[in-house]
Amino acid sequence: MKRGALVPTGEATVGPFFPPRYVDAGANDLTQLEGRGARGEVIEIRGRVVQDDGAPLENLIVEIWQPDAQGIFRHPADPRHAQADPNFLGWGRAATDQDGRYFFRTIRPGAPQGREPHINFMLMFSGLLRILKTTMFFEDAPDPVLNLVSNRRHLLIGKKEGENLYTFDVRLRGGNETPFFDD
Amino acid sequence: MKTLIRPREESTQPRRIVEGYPQTAQRNPAQPLVRREPTLSELTGPLELARRVKLLGGDIAGRGDKQAIGQLIHLKVRVLDEDGAPVGGTVVEIWQANAAGRYIHPNDDDHAPVDANFYGAARLVTDETGSFTLRTVKPGAYPVPASDGWWRPPHIHFSLFGRVWLSRLVTQMYFPGEPLNAQDRILNAVPDAAARERLVARYLPPAADPYNALVLEHQIVLRGSAATPGQP
Repeated sequence: MKRGALVPTGEATVGPFFPPRYVDAGANDLTQLEGRGARGEVIEIRGRVVQDDGAPLENLIVEIWQPDAQGIFRHPADPRHAQADPNFLGWGRAATDQDGRYFFRTIRPGAPQGREPHINFMLMFSGLLRILKTTMFFEDAPDPVLNLVSNRRHLLIGKKEGENLYTFDVRLRGGNETPFFDD
Repeated sequence: MKTLIRPREESTQPRRIVEGYPQTAQRNPAQPLVRREPTLSELTGPLELARRVKLLGGDIAGRGDKQAIGQLIHLKVRVLDEDGAPVGGTVVEIWQANAAGRYIHPNDDDHAPVDANFYGAARLVTDETGSFTLRTVKPGAYPVPASDGWWRPPHIHFSLFGRVWLSRLVTQMYFPGEPLNAQDRILNAVPDAAARERLVARYLPPAADPYNALVLEHQIVLRGSAATPGQP
């Protein structure tokens, strides 16, 4: 078959009935894998997801993907992956509560090659026919992806609220709308 | 192994804002999306999810003499990449309404009856040929709550991961010949007719087993092509 001959399947919304059991207990805690702790600084990321009129969204699915404390992705495409933390998978899932709040416990990511430290986010919900993708940074720094966003870049930077606590609020639409990416 | 991700043809993907589906206008960004070239961060992704999430198997139509009500179907699905190469070993999540059109979910307050023998959610891993078989019953159609008479046609939801972050896919599969397909606002949000057609499964000859289950096949294509070093 010719390279790239097939067309990717069309996306669709998760709808309002994504099974609650798919948000497994502990799926929002990336610091443990099969009972063993990952290396690095444990941090918490909290945020609230709202729509155009400011209403919080309940049962919205948030997924994250990130490298380990050394900035290594647990994936063979990363040239350093043989050194990846064996107890860190890098993926997590959370569902927002009735106040639109999600919460992750994870390891502060190191800087991957050519990038500043960051965490990839995906949002899935009723009314979203396509997954929304964004990225959280820890500080304003010359990252090639953050640099694509000019006047709204501050909205991609998590707010440090405590020693190990960051907040990253997401506004899907409206004033101070979170920048989303297409790729 | 490296994966190449190219932008998708927009007409093969759903419009973000859909008339008659008011939540889409509340929840999709008003600002244009920021186009980015994928970096290593988006061209890697979770490959060992089965260590993180509980697998539930691929049979949701009941156990023993406690069978779900409805038309029994065997759904054979193949998951491929854009080169037609099988995507094996990837986690697939599947959920659907029961034969009466009711989900197992606290938010579903439709009047349709629940079915205690219907499981509603499967989670499994594709084999090395990218395939899996789901044993289920055909889902019923149901009215969209608080809408103007919009009914969803029978459909099955899929969530897949693939090899990299950008191959993540959430999609829905439809049944051939359903009158409600032509009016569905989610299926018809995809502008390209051929792309819509690829969201519809195909019937095969019924299974030669004691149940004579209906058999359908479906193909799901995840984003990504093999990126061979030295080739553009």
